[in-house]
Amino acid sequence: MALAEGTAHADYTLNLMKGVTKVSNDIYDLHMLILWICVIIGVGVFGTMFYSIYHHRKSKGHQAAQFHENTTVEIIWTIIPTLILIGMAIPATKTLLELEDVQDAEMSIKVTGWQWKWEYEYLDNGIHFFSSLDEASNKARQVGSGIDPRTVPHYLLNVDKPLVIPTKKKIRFLFTAADVLHSWWIPDLGWKKDAIPGFINEAWTSVDNPGTYRGQCTELCGKDHGFMPIVVIAMEQPEYDAWVKKTQEDAKKGADLSDQSHDELVSKGAAVYAKNCSTCHLPDGKGVPGAFPAITGSALVKGDINAQVSLVVNGKGAMPAFGKMLKADELAQVITYTRNALGNAVGDHVQPKAIQELLPKPSSAAAPKATPATVEKIEPMADMSKDDLLVLGKTIYNSNCSSCHQAEGQGNPPMFPALKGSAVVLGDINAQINLMLNGKGMMPGFGHSLKANEFAAVVSYTRNGLGNAVNDVVQPSVIQQLQAALPPEQNDD
Amino acid sequence: MSAVIAEHDDHHEHDDHAHGPEKGILRWIITTNHKDIGTLYLFFALAMFFVGGIMAMIIRAELFEPGMQFVQPQFFNSMTTMHALVMVFGAVMPAFVGLANWMIPMMIGAPDMALPRMNNMSFWVLVAGVLMLASTLFMEGGAPAGGWTLYPPLVLQTGKALPFAIFSVHLLGISSIMGAINIIATIFNMRAPGMTLMKMPLFVWTWLITAFLLIAVMPVFAGAVTMLLTDRFFGTSFFDAAGGGDPVLYQHIFWFFGHPEVYIMILPTFGVASTIIPVFARKPLFGYSSMVYATASIAFLSFIVWAHHMFTVGMPVAGELYFMYATMLIAIPTGVKVFNWTATMWKGAMTFETPMLFSIAFVVLFTIGGFTGLMMSIAPSDFQYHDTYFIVAHFHYTLVPASVFILMAAGYYWLPKWTGHMYNEKIGQLHFWLSTVSVNILFFPQHFLGLAGMPRRIPDYAVQFADWNMISSIGGFIFGASQLLFLYIVIDTIRGGTGEKVSDEVWEDAHKHGLEWTLPSPPPYHSFTTPPTIIPTEHI
Repeated sequence: MALAEGTAHADYTLNLMKGVTKVSNDIYDLHMLILWICVIIGVGVFGTMFYSIYHHRKSKGHQAAQFHENTTVEIIWTIIPTLILIGMAIPATKTLLELEDVQDAEMSIKVTGWQWKWEYEYLDNGIHFFSSLDEASNKARQVGSGIDPRTVPHYLLNVDKPLVIPTKKKIRFLFTAADVLHSWWIPDLGWKKDAIPGFINEAWTSVDNPGTYRGQCTELCGKDHGFMPIVVIAMEQPEYDAWVKKTQEDAKKGADLSDQSHDELVSKGAAVYAKNCSTCHLPDGKGVPGAFPAITGSALVKGDINAQVSLVVNGKGAMPAFGKMLKADELAQVITYTRNALGNAVGDHVQPKAIQELLPKPSSAAAPKATPATVEKIEPMADMSKDDLLVLGKTIYNSNCSSCHQAEGQGNPPMFPALKGSAVVLGDINAQINLMLNGKGMMPGFGHSLKANEFAAVVSYTRNGLGNAVNDVVQPSVIQQLQAALPPEQNDD
Repeated sequence: MSAVIAEHDDHHEHDDHAHGPEKGILRWIITTNHKDIGTLYLFFALAMFFVGGIMAMIIRAELFEPGMQFVQPQFFNSMTTMHALVMVFGAVMPAFVGLANWMIPMMIGAPDMALPRMNNMSFWVLVAGVLMLASTLFMEGGAPAGGWTLYPPLVLQTGKALPFAIFSVHLLGISSIMGAINIIATIFNMRAPGMTLMKMPLFVWTWLITAFLLIAVMPVFAGAVTMLLTDRFFGTSFFDAAGGGDPVLYQHIFWFFGHPEVYIMILPTFGVASTIIPVFARKPLFGYSSMVYATASIAFLSFIVWAHHMFTVGMPVAGELYFMYATMLIAIPTGVKVFNWTATMWKGAMTFETPMLFSIAFVVLFTIGGFTGLMMSIAPSDFQYHDTYFIVAHFHYTLVPASVFILMAAGYYWLPKWTGHMYNEKIGQLHFWLSTVSVNILFFPQHFLGLAGMPRRIPDYAVQFADWNMISSIGGFIFGASQLLFLYIVIDTIRGGTGEKVSDEVWEDAHKHGLEWTLPSPPPYHSFTTPPTIIPTEHI
């Protein structure tokens, strides 16, 4: 190795990078120490061997000695390596202990590996985003793209949203994964750590100087393992604070919930599809048989739109829950696109507003620290049309009620009463709401588990669907008031 | 090796009880003869070496330049996975079993293996296993693409191929265990009188230890993949955190198998090197008993170091320290071996025929693989090296210019004995020089790539890795093409080679180094029907 170092062209990187942290420098020193020990031993052993090969050859008339077994020599060449190993183990142990000491961290970032992107959550300020391969690299890396990777800046090592960290702070990282194993590696930070579903791993770093540091996923995680880079930008504290402020403001803006025309949804959906779906379902929607189902001609896509919305928002198996990754308008666009492009022509669409109702509320996901005092006043929810209530209600019914009361509301007597023609459902709406808020016998109370709009929607749906036609509805704002009056939730934990 | 049979009747120096091979193709299907089965194993391994090699060529072609040129990423992952599985279970392991079949009875003075029918079965089960594995290439969803380690949860995303891959692992495991039982039974029961354990040739010793490793770890691997099977099809959650399982558990079980497994591929290599070097140095092996003890120590250590493959999974720091120290210890017995080979050459009277050339290259290049292994045992450094091209370079150095080179050396060393013909020394040396130069062009730059930050198992890379990848690919293509020379030499030698009739001992004074050289070349169909009385002890 030492030989090649001296002779190789300067553009060809040969050695480990020193990196930008104390730990990475310690690791570099350790690496060089062991490397030189190996080089010296190698020179000694190979030197002896080649001397022997040159001088002790039959063609030169060398007569073979017949010695063998020498206890002294054998003891010496066992003891000396042992001492060398002890000499290596001491600095290695020191560095390892330093590397594993995550105490006294000043801030924490949770990193979740997904096929094939990274999710970052700043546990101290609630910032939360996904980071995936940048568009230019993604275009160039397609088979037969015709784009020369050398023309793409930071080809395969660039992302749409980099992780931003402050300099000179001890930052603790928490690693987990949503689907399969991943591993998070920035060579300049000196380490990699596996992200494992169901487990949390820890590591830490502290970067002295501002800069942009690049790395990649290093645990095979499926077909696009090579295409989920990591970019970390370290900033001085004031710039970092400004970034935090701006990012938080941007997050507040949220999705554009205004209605869009059918054509607008389809055309904007194409871009969302290309960025988020085409990796698995392929750009033409043909999928990969046996692994990723086709979109084209899919029974799910051509069937009930609510079922598709539910699948996309909540995920299933290898399909991630996009409700956590995309905004309502993007979801509406991409769902409408899949139903009306890629060889499908269902002809319907869904509006951002309807999706927004189904999404997990950001207030529950953001860290409580960031918004401690904003919960006292409840904004009344907007009224919904009867059609909107029934559409949402059906989804809520299917995921919350149908396992007992069955999909068609026929129930499963005597355990679970039918809703179709039920005296309660056909009777006073307030009695039904009361029953559903508080539960009775086997029937759980849904007052805490459903949101007001979901609750209102499912009440309305049972009274106007499932073969019933009471023809009244209840609005979310009414339910909100009733929920506010409920006793606090019993905690079973 | 038709030559073996054609000339078999010429050798009537023992009681030949008219019990020759079947005629025609049936001979190879129902044979229970250790030489025939050894030949089958060796040819099968050679065929799989080329199949796995084609996969490697596809990998190196895609990595020749940045950007995706030839294959889809999923297929690329299938190629890296299948290349490893085919090379490990289809080429290297069967090749050593083939050598064991041919050589162990001849080296210990036995007529055949102890359990000849099981010998036949273990070969055909191997073929069934490898064919089943190969068939996954044509299945919906493609061949396994989660790496040869088959880590869950990723491997559970495999399409229709998963159960076939798992059953093929079961078959390969059964085959290996049968082979191992046979080798142990043969060595313990069929040695010629006077051949005590400490007078056995080192190849026999290393295989004895390897056979115990196989019996100990193949069932562990079978158990791990069976748990994958039930996780996928029968609703268990051994490795699924959502069901209370643990994906890291699989890694622990896998590497409890996997680390001894890599020694299964290297210990017989040590045995062959220790056999060949003394013959061409015309000098006894420097430290026979320390070689035996070093082999046993390495085998023992292989069971207690497995988690050094898993430094980054998030072990407690005490666990990391333990596995680091235990792993570093392996350097001691390995060092003893390298010093021994060097001391054997020292003050010898060396000649450099092809087997010796490959053996010397093995000692040097395996030692480089050992150095990088030592570097990776240092846990903090491994946080940088792990899962990069640095480790790809490391294990290929211990497998290709080590195990595979020694298999080549063994081929050149024993082919004249097996066939009765001399191979073409000039082409053999050409094969050696092309292989040795190209294997270093192929794998040495991968150290640089790994240190510079290129992860392994990626189908495309950032442009700063382009130069070394292109050089590595060029080395790969030359290396791949050079192996066709070996195929040519094997066929040519079987068909008569140089035409030179070889003596019984083939190599100068080889009869002092092993019983196989006291038999005619080619040897009779049944090696020693009466046990030999003089045990050569020059190797001791």
